[in-house]
Amino acid sequence: MAEVISVGVNLEAFAQAISAIQALRSSVSRVFDCLKDGMRNKETLEGREKAFIAHFQDNLHSVNRDLNELERLSNLVGKPSENHPLHNSGLLSLDPVQDKTPLYSQLLQAYKWSNKLQYHAGLASGLLNQQSLKRSANQMGVSAKRRPKAQPTTLVLPPQYVDDVISRIDRMFPEMSIHLSRPNGTSAMLLVTLGKVLKVIVVMRSLFIDRTIVKGYNENVYTEDGKLDIWSKSNYQVFQKVTDHATTALLHYQLPQMPDVVVRSFMTWLRSYIKLFQAPCQRCGKFLQDGLPPTWRDFRTLEAFHDTCRQ
Amino acid sequence: MSPFLLEGGSVSQMPVAEGKSVQQTVELLTRKLEMLGAEKQGTFCVDCETYHTAASTLGSQGQAGKLMYVMHNSEYPLSCFALFENGPCLIADTNFDVLMVKLKGFFQSAKASKIETRGTRYQYCDFLVKVGTVTMGPSARGISVEVEYGPCVVASDCWSLLLEFLQNFLGSHTPGAPTVFGNRHDAVYGPADTMVQYMELFNKIRKQQQVPVAGIR
Ligand SMILES: [Zn+2]
Repeated sequence: MAEVISVGVNLEAFAQAISAIQALRSSVSRVFDCLKDGMRNKETLEGREKAFIAHFQDNLHSVNRDLNELERLSNLVGKPSENHPLHNSGLLSLDPVQDKTPLYSQLLQAYKWSNKLQYHAGLASGLLNQQSLKRSANQMGVSAKRRPKAQPTTLVLPPQYVDDVISRIDRMFPEMSIHLSRPNGTSAMLLVTLGKVLKVIVVMRSLFIDRTIVKGYNENVYTEDGKLDIWSKSNYQVFQKVTDHATTALLHYQLPQMPDVVVRSFMTWLRSYIKLFQAPCQRCGKFLQDGLPPTWRDFRTLEAFHDTCRQ
Repeated sequence: MSPFLLEGGSVSQMPVAEGKSVQQTVELLTRKLEMLGAEKQGTFCVDCETYHTAASTLGSQGQAGKLMYVMHNSEYPLSCFALFENGPCLIADTNFDVLMVKLKGFFQSAKASKIETRGTRYQYCDFLVKVGTVTMGPSARGISVEVEYGPCVVASDCWSLLLEFLQNFLGSHTPGAPTVFGNRHDAVYGPADTMVQYMELFNKIRKQQQVPVAGIR
């Protein structure tokens, strides 16, 4: 905890750097003032040009000097939050009123707790996979042995790796387009458009899917200020139902050691909704039950069923 | 027998049952909807007025003037629709009505051509059903049924699903797939597609003018 609090900000250098920025700004505006004023009246044309050039040079020199000073200071300031394991949330430790708002220590607790949970869940899944009844789990047991110590590193995968995994999935399915954005820092958000059937907002944490909302193709997925709207649900019952099923799917597709396989399996499952309005139920053979089409897709066979018709 | 509407929608003309009045058949339909669990959600109205090219602009060749239909739909209260048969559909502001008055020299409204359908909207799950009585002047001419399935934007994708829904309350009177479904394979359904179906429905009812209501089959 001690090394977290010394976030490495040299406050004195910081104050100096701010005044250096002010100096740089005013010297830059002097350059433009000089250009704007042009050549002042002097007796001869030559005199005018000389005076202008000398003045212009002086101004550029002072810009150069101020810039060098700023660069020197910026090295002293240090890099506050980069490489910090909690990214910008590490700055919470700078809050002086610790007693009233113990946010930071709670955050650390939660982080430790979640890491421990992840670690134990990984071990448990390794053990369970060895005696699993699921067909798909057999290869998993082997690879879990090969990597016996599962670090919670999957929480801090580099964004570039996440980008690669997502763009590979995007290329896999031509009728599915995935748009990745990072409006809130490192966590990615995906907007998946499936044919002309539906849109899905997927909130990621590293390569784990945290939350997913399914909406209609013609429904708005943005808030008034143009950000992805991750809170409001679809106006249509059918997509509310599909959202519920997608959330269930997130719990079903779980391989803590191979998050990229999980994302790929989830997207493959999601893609089967391309026939949401065209596939009759595999059990009762009908399209509608209580006014809804078959909204459930089997996790293994991807067959369409009504919610009440699945086993 | 049936023109159609919508986002997976359909407008169709419902034949009036033998020995029943238009009003009785509408009541029968809405009762079936209510039994299904549909809930009333206000009313709706679609109207249509016919314009033909003014004689003065036709010239000496004696070519027939093209008909233009100016329509309104209470679902789109700020819009006015101008359609040609088999032609483009223009979606304009309601100011368009004023413009038509100014264009009297080119387009004249046909006498007593106004036809409209009015009725109740019903919501059932994601379906919106509008059962209306079609009237021309003072008399009821028939019944329109529009079914809209909002979640689906490509009409042909949900035709089978719509048909199954229609069978629930229209029984054997379910219509064939409207032309809108066929010609543009995966185009996104829009308000214009609905209006074209109402225009076709109205035209059909106009042609049946003299047939006694109970005889439509
Ligand atoms: Zn079923």
